[in-house]
Amino acid sequence: MELLDDIRVAKEIVQALLKAKKTFRMYPDTNPMYAKTIEDTNAKFRNFFDYKDELTFKIKQNELFCDSEQIYYNSQKEDNIALFFFKDGLREITFKKGFSVKELEDFLKILTVDYDREVLDDDVVTLLWERDFQNVKYVVDEAFLTEDEDYESEAVREVKDKASDGDELSKAYEDSFNEEGVKDAVIVPLTDKDLHTIVKEIDKDAHDKTGKLITIIFEMLYQAEDKSEYEDVVHFLNSIIEFSITHGDLETALHILRKTREVIGGPAIADDARKNLNMVFSFLGFEATIKLLGELLDSGIEINEKIWDEYVAFLDKNAIQPFITILGELKSIPARKNVINALISLGKKDIQSLAKGLYDSRWYVVRNIIYILGKIGDKVAVDYLLKTVNHSDIRVRKEGIKALGELGTPGVFPALRECFNDPEVQIRTAAARALGNIHSATAKSIILQRMTNAVFVKTEFSEKKEFYEVLSRWKDNDVVEFLMKTFRKKVFFKRAFNDENRACAAYCLGLMGNKDALPLLHKAKESKNKLLREYVYSAIKRIEYGQ
Amino acid sequence: MANKESREEVFKKAKDIVNQLAVIIRTAAIHDPGNIAVTTAIEKFTAITNPLILSEGELVLELGGEFFYLNEARIRYPLEYLPSFDFLVREFKKRELGSIVFRNALKSEDMQSFLRAFIASASSLESFEALAEEIAHVSSLGVGRLRKIRDEEKTEGSSDVRKMIKKSYFNAVSYTRGVVSKIKSGEKVNIKKAKRVVESMVDLILEEEQLLLGMTAIKDYDEYTYHHSVNVSILAVALAQRLGLSKRALTELGLVALFHDIGKIEIPSEVLNKPTSFTDDEWHMVQKHPFWGVRAILKMRGIDATVARAAIVAFEHHMYHDLSGYPKTRESYELDFYSKIISLADQYDGMTSARVYSRIPMPPDRALSLMMERAGTQLDPILFKFFINMIKEMGLVYQSDSAFLDRPKVMVVINSKGERTDRYFVDLTEKATDGKFQRTIVKTLDPNKYRINLAEYLL
Repeated sequence: MELLDDIRVAKEIVQALLKAKKTFRMYPDTNPMYAKTIEDTNAKFRNFFDYKDELTFKIKQNELFCDSEQIYYNSQKEDNIALFFFKDGLREITFKKGFSVKELEDFLKILTVDYDREVLDDDVVTLLWERDFQNVKYVVDEAFLTEDEDYESEAVREVKDKASDGDELSKAYEDSFNEEGVKDAVIVPLTDKDLHTIVKEIDKDAHDKTGKLITIIFEMLYQAEDKSEYEDVVHFLNSIIEFSITHGDLETALHILRKTREVIGGPAIADDARKNLNMVFSFLGFEATIKLLGELLDSGIEINEKIWDEYVAFLDKNAIQPFITILGELKSIPARKNVINALISLGKKDIQSLAKGLYDSRWYVVRNIIYILGKIGDKVAVDYLLKTVNHSDIRVRKEGIKALGELGTPGVFPALRECFNDPEVQIRTAAARALGNIHSATAKSIILQRMTNAVFVKTEFSEKKEFYEVLSRWKDNDVVEFLMKTFRKKVFFKRAFNDENRACAAYCLGLMGNKDALPLLHKAKESKNKLLREYVYSAIKRIEYGQ
Repeated sequence: MANKESREEVFKKAKDIVNQLAVIIRTAAIHDPGNIAVTTAIEKFTAITNPLILSEGELVLELGGEFFYLNEARIRYPLEYLPSFDFLVREFKKRELGSIVFRNALKSEDMQSFLRAFIASASSLESFEALAEEIAHVSSLGVGRLRKIRDEEKTEGSSDVRKMIKKSYFNAVSYTRGVVSKIKSGEKVNIKKAKRVVESMVDLILEEEQLLLGMTAIKDYDEYTYHHSVNVSILAVALAQRLGLSKRALTELGLVALFHDIGKIEIPSEVLNKPTSFTDDEWHMVQKHPFWGVRAILKMRGIDATVARAAIVAFEHHMYHDLSGYPKTRESYELDFYSKIISLADQYDGMTSARVYSRIPMPPDRALSLMMERAGTQLDPILFKFFINMIKEMGLVYQSDSAFLDRPKVMVVINSKGERTDRYFVDLTEKATDGKFQRTIVKTLDPNKYRINLAEYLL
């Protein structure tokens, strides 16, 4: 291969590495693009190694060189592969002919790491070092490791200044004739049992150390002597909780919480310590902590339901507001479900805080809060929920009406009655269903009032049917009488409307399974009106055969 | 020339070759090499080696220091192979055997001949010669004598290596000093840098263990605290690499060791440097430094696995193997593996260093014998065995040779007439024409007793 060909292929390799760096960031390793990138980049390397045994890049701040030829230049900071290597001290990198596909993949992974993240303690050199490539060698300038240029020379000079005294050296020489002779350097034999014990211990050592650290921190608490030491302990426990959540390990966080509860309840600590320790529970509800929890929930890591419930039980009402905030940000349905369940449990401690979520600008958050308030079932929530029936979003209004129906205090009736005047049919029927849920005499009377209103006759059949369906929940005489009367009613004008009403009444009687209505229904089964006929047939069937 | 795939195969199989060779030798020590137990093990061995011999031409298994190399590549092995590797290192050294060359297709009969010679050579005065002579007729096998130092350039003209080691050592000390000052002033500590500093030390320990360990023997620095931290780190990593810990684990251990005494920064210097005994209050303060260490480490940055490890070691390094030290804990407790290693290194370096309350440090032998008394109570007895073997190999010599522990290369500073002389080196493995060694160590002296400054010679 000619020199010029070398350079060309080396340039292609650099370009392939740059491309791979981008692809690796974009695609997971299961994506075909990922495999293709490795394949393409490997092909470039193989091209080179068909003729040469080694490929060396000399690295400058913004340039890469191969055989003294510049093969890459970039003066920008972004996507500058030369600078990427240079900043951590790499000055030369050599790939050997044996560079395998596995090594290439690992090398590309190292190229892709986001080194700017503060939490990352590794730089490129550290990762190359740890991976210990057989076929990638590199030269590093370690000048930046020297904190103080003069330290070494000063320290050496200092110790050398204390030079040995010549007389002492002579004395040592003289004395040596009288000293006891040396014994052989005996190496202590290690038995197989020793080696196996060590291997076992090293194996055991691989387990997570967080539990041990927690034990130590509690020991620090037991032996703490002043307020600042208590505060430190709390701070450290909080940090571990944070760390555990970040790593999807709620079990460790729970370990701390259980232990904290146990210690607070026990006699082992001073009152001051107890007071401080309570702060651990408050920390759980901090906005930043809940945000981390949200990230965990959204990460797709499976969370055991029991663990989640136990964790939530440790939360205090200060977690309500941050939970409401993340409720609007979470992307996955299971994550939102978990938060909703948490709020159902937490909201009981402070309805007022939870109700603040009703003012959230995101309609779906408001709808979730209404749902949560409904599930909690505390009648205190009614005052807050009443406002939601006027919300600009129909989905919120519907949820609000439903919740009012679930709570069912006398205060909800005017609002529900008012809903019958809403221009949206969904709202009117939702209000009817809510009243049906309440299932009180007042609720029945409001519905009947609406159904006997002249306006009602002209409403759509589907809406009328919904109302009759709701009415079927009351199986009392008033309702039966109303239905019979409606069914018997005959008119000369607007007969179609009347037949719709009769069909609905038949439907309702059917739902109620009212056998007294059977003779009347049989009489109408040959009606000329098809709709009426069908509903009458269905009602008879339902009453007679329970179908 | 072997292709890329077969090279990889060699690297992968290398550990199995060593392991299986250890199995064969152990079995042959009990049964005759013709016994089915041995021949079955040999068959397994040849099944691994023969395809590799075919692709590589020949396989050279060589011992260099404490490590095995196969065709020049260092063999790395998982922990479960440690007993086999350790056994084979000892068996090789016992016979001054440095390498075995496998060529052609290895036959079971050849291996049986080798095993007979190998077992018999253990009782011979000239083990290696006996072994070599016995297998001279075996065409598929050859042996080489244990080389004094694997890489010749390390013995002669090694000033660059020494410079590198000195630089690395002082970088670590200077970094530690910087960390202490940063913690005191509430500044952020750069862990990336710490890792690089330790990585460089780990590299040197893997390649030039004796030279870097030698740096820890110079104890006459004024800045004891910083040097102590670095010395403990070096001693701990050197010990752990003998246990077969991975490079990543060695770095973590080295890093953690650097911070083990960080809690002492809260002890006022007048207490720390007090030449007389501590009062009860002062002693109480000293006993709090493990707590303060945990606090300093946890405040340095957010929690992660390494930080947890560092905090654990800072807390435990004075607790002792039998938990008789401090701090005492309320709940039942088990020492961390790193703490056990670091407390050995800590005790040894502390005892052999000059301190305010004891200007004359203890000679290594005295320190080791004191530590021996503590093995099983204050110190982990098995780890102590590893440690004492390591330190004995280290010695107070210019450059030791793990193949010939009692025959290092030494610097002559005073001649046979008792006059100071220009320094020169002599190799104690050199033999005269009559086959006897030219020089032998007959007596050792404690340099501290005569205020002999080792740094003058070693730096």
